Amino acid sequence: MDKKVLRGLLIIIVCVVLVASAVSVFVLHSEHSELLEGFLYGAMGVGLFMITAKILSLIQKEGKQDD
Amino acid sequence: MIEFDIPPFLIYYFGAALVPLLGRGKVRKIFLVALAVFGLVSVALIQPHTSWVIPTFPGVKQTLLHADRLSMIMGYIFALAGGGAIIYGLSTIKEAGQYVCGLLYMGSALGAVFAGDFFTLFIFLEIMSFSSLGLIWYERTKRSIDAGMRYILYHIFGGCLTLAGIIIHYSVSGGSIAVGPIEPGIGYFLLLAGIGVNAGFIPLHTWIPDAYPKATIGGTIFLSIFTTKTGIYMLARTFSGVEAVAYMGGVMALYGVIFAILQNDVRKLLSYHIVSQLGYMVAGVGMAGVGMGVMGLGLHTAATATATGTLVEKLALDGAIAHLFNNLLFKTTLFMCMGAIIYRTGKNNLTDMGGLARKMPITMITCVIAALSISGVVGFNGYISKGMIIHAAELKGMHIIALALMLASVGTLISFIKLTYFAFFAKNEHIEAKEAPLPMLVPMCITAFLCMAIGLYPKLLYTILPFRDAAFHYHAFAPGHTLGTMELVLMTLFLFFMLGYFAPHEKITLDFDHLYRKAGRRVIWFCEQPLMGFASAIDTKLKRIADSLVWFSRNPVGASLIQLTSTGMRLTKHLPLNLNHYHHPERVEQRAIEEPAERLTIGVGIAVLVVLLFFALYLIVMLIS
Repeated sequence: MDKKVLRGLLIIIVCVVLVASAVSVFVLHSEHSELLEGFLYGAMGVGLFMITAKILSLIQKEGKQDD
Repeated sequence: MIEFDIPPFLIYYFGAALVPLLGRGKVRKIFLVALAVFGLVSVALIQPHTSWVIPTFPGVKQTLLHADRLSMIMGYIFALAGGGAIIYGLSTIKEAGQYVCGLLYMGSALGAVFAGDFFTLFIFLEIMSFSSLGLIWYERTKRSIDAGMRYILYHIFGGCLTLAGIIIHYSVSGGSIAVGPIEPGIGYFLLLAGIGVNAGFIPLHTWIPDAYPKATIGGTIFLSIFTTKTGIYMLARTFSGVEAVAYMGGVMALYGVIFAILQNDVRKLLSYHIVSQLGYMVAGVGMAGVGMGVMGLGLHTAATATATGTLVEKLALDGAIAHLFNNLLFKTTLFMCMGAIIYRTGKNNLTDMGGLARKMPITMITCVIAALSISGVVGFNGYISKGMIIHAAELKGMHIIALALMLASVGTLISFIKLTYFAFFAKNEHIEAKEAPLPMLVPMCITAFLCMAIGLYPKLLYTILPFRDAAFHYHAFAPGHTLGTMELVLMTLFLFFMLGYFAPHEKITLDFDHLYRKAGRRVIWFCEQPLMGFASAIDTKLKRIADSLVWFSRNPVGASLIQLTSTGMRLTKHLPLNLNHYHHPERVEQRAIEEPAERLTIGVGIAVLVVLLFFALYLIVMLIS
C-alpha cells in the first residue's frame, strides 16, 4: 500500500483508540472502577501525544531554534 | 539545640567573595566542598523566628531572615541541591567568575525564600537574575550570548511587573509589605504576571527552553534549581487557592510535555520538562486554601493550627511542595547525567548519541532512576508527589486538572523512554566516551539514591512538609492507585516500542518565542527606521532653529533688517514693481552670512536702558505678586 494511505490509516486508528479510551475512562471513572483505568489512560495518552506531534510537525522546520 | 541566626545568603555571598582569591587548585575545591556542607548545616540549624529587621526608608523595615515552615523547607531544598551543584561543578567549572555567579545566585535564592517582606524579596530576585546571566554568558558562544540577552530582557520585564505590583499593593494596603496574599486589583494581576515569568506560566515560559540549554554544563545545574522554584515559592505565599492558577498548572503540565517529546537537544528536552513539572506544582498551589502559604512560626503544631483549609487543600499544598522537593532531586540528577554525557562526548542531540550504557554505566543507572522518578513509576519519589496532587484534584472535584496531570504523566514517560533509550541503549558503534569523573558521579548518585529512598519510604518526605497531618492521611501505595500506575506504565512502554513513532529527529518545533522574536525584530526595525528618521528630522530642525537663534543674537538689529529685506523681496518678487535694483538677492544673502557676525556696538546709553528695562520688569513682577 501507499505510504500516505498507511499513515492515514494509522492516524484513523489512533483517533479511534483515543476516542474509545476517552469514553471508557470517563465511564469507568464515574463508576469508580480502577481495574483497567491505567491501561486506558496509557492508550489515551499515547494517542493524544501522537496526534499533537503530528499537528505540531506542521510548524516544525529544519535548523536551530535561534536561526 | 544550636540556633543559627545568620541569613544564609551572607554565607554564600562571603564564599563568592573569597573564591577568586583561592586560585584554581585543590584549595579552591576543598573550600567549595566545605562551603556546600557548611551552608547546608547552617540552613538546617535555623529555627522558626524573625530577625535581622533593618529600617531602610521612613516607614519601611526590611526583614532579611524570616524563617517559618515553608521558607525552611525551601531552604533545605536549595541548600541541598545547590550543594550538589557546587560539587558537580568541581570538574567542569574552571573560571572563578562562574563560581562567583553561581554562589551569588544560590545565596540570593536563599535570601529570597527567607525574606520577610516584598521589597527584600524583589531585591534578591533581581540579584538572582543578573548573577544567573553570568552562568549563561560564560559559555562564550554567540548562541549563549544572544540567549542570555533574551533571558535578562525577560527577567527585567518580569521584575518591572513584580515591582509595580508590590508598589501598588504597598500603597493600597496602607504600607503592608509582608509577603502574603494581596488584594485583587491592578497590583494583584501585575504581581501574578511577574511571578508567572519566574514560575514559567504559558506563554511566559519560553526563556526556560531558550536559555537553559545554552548555559555552561555546570551553570545549567544551578539554573535548573533556583529561579523557577523561587517562583513557585512566591506563588505559594501570595496566590495559593486561586482556581485560575490551578488550571494554568494543568495547561503547563501538558504543554511542556508535548514540546518535550518533540525535542532532539537533551537539555532542551529537560528544560521543557521543567515547565511541565512546574505545572504540577502550580496546580497544587492553585488547589490549596486561600492564604495557606502564610505559615505560622511554630514548627508543626502552630503551622497546622493556623491553617484554615480543608484536609484536601492541605494535601494539595503538601503535594506541590513535595513535588518541588522531588523535582529538584530527579531533575538535578537528569541535568547532571546529561551534562556528564555532553562533557564526555561533546554531543547535545539524541540523534548523535546511543551506545553509552556500557561506556557510562553509573551515569546510565542514575539517569534511569531519575527518569523513572520523574515519570511517576511506583517505588520512585515522583510517584508519591504526583499522586498527592492528582488525588487532591480528584477529591476537590477538579477532574479536568486530574486528567491533564494524568495525561502529562504519560507524556513524561514517553519522553523519558525516548531519552534513556536513544542516549544509552540505541546502537551507535562510533561514539567514544568514558565514565564521568568522580565529582560528577558523587552528587548524581546521592540525588538518585534520595529519589529511590523517598519513593520506597515516603514518610521521609512527609515529615518535612507544611501539613504533616494531611500528608500522613495520604496512602501512596493504595492498591487501586498502584495498580493503575503500573498499568499505565506498561501500556505506554508497549505502545512506544510497538509504534516506534517518537524517534528523535533533527527538526525543531517553533514555540511562542518565535512570535516574540518576530515581534522583537519588527520593534527593532520600527526603532531603527521610522522612529530614528523622525528623531533625526526633529534633530535637524532643532539645530537649524538653534543656528538661527545664534545668528540672530549676534546682531539682532542687523539680523532683523536682513530678515525684513529678504521677506520684502520674496513678497515683491512677483509684483510688477521692480525694487530689486535696490536689494540684489545675492547681496542680501551675502549680508545674511557676514553682517550679523559684526557685533553691534552697544553704547553706555543702550546698556543703561537695558538695565532700566530689566529693573522695571522686576518691579512690575514684584508689585503684581
